[in-house]
Amino acid sequence: MFGAFRATQPTMVGLLWKTPWKLSRTRKANVRSRLKKVDAVIEAVRASGMQCKSLVQALELPKEHEMPPKDKYTVFSRREQGYRKGIHKVPKWTRLTLRTNPKGF
Amino acid sequence: MLLNALPMRACAPARSALEFTRLFATATPSSEVSSTSSQPEPNTHFRITLRRSAISLPANIKGTLVALGIHRRMQTVYHRHTPDIAGKILRVKELVEVENVPESAVRTKLEQRIERKAPRGYIVARSKFGQLDI
Repeated sequence: MFGAFRATQPTMVGLLWKTPWKLSRTRKANVRSRLKKVDAVIEAVRASGMQCKSLVQALELPKEHEMPPKDKYTVFSRREQGYRKGIHKVPKWTRLTLRTNPKGF
Repeated sequence: MLLNALPMRACAPARSALEFTRLFATATPSSEVSSTSSQPEPNTHFRITLRRSAISLPANIKGTLVALGIHRRMQTVYHRHTPDIAGKILRVKELVEVENVPESAVRTKLEQRIERKAPRGYIVARSKFGQLDI
């Protein structure tokens, strides 16, 4: 029943990685801290007084405190029921900016 | 001899000696450098530090880091305020940490390494080889 040879899903069926369907409280806190760090970078570039197209685009992004929780922790997906899936299902999601939704969603 | 040198490094030196070596061993880099004059120095440079690795990200992101002169995590580079550098920073905004610093806070790679170095823990009171510098 216990030990290294117990019958569990990972030992019986081989490779089995489960991704939780939603983020834990800690992971959500980490999401928010990453969003704030990106906000700080945009703010620093804005404070430098430089003007460029990418800065205009970056300033159009919603800031962390302006975003609803739905946008922080889920993303649009055209295949999912309800058109939303957990943001942690996106490859490389911790190093991407996924703040906005397509028009109408 | 290495064995002879080790206890010298390990022994606790006098407080004043430590402070004295710190003078030229480590000058602490401060983020907000306040000049002695009344008006603060204007910020002219970006201090860019790579916090997150670009491993397995697209080639254009990795290329942007190369263009910024960054090739490893936690590396810090300084760039003058220009629109093209601002654009590059925003391309990799999820990976870097950016601060605006004045001209006096800019450090070269060698200067950064010297500032990172720990104080030696001893000072050479005198030497039979005369006045050798460091």
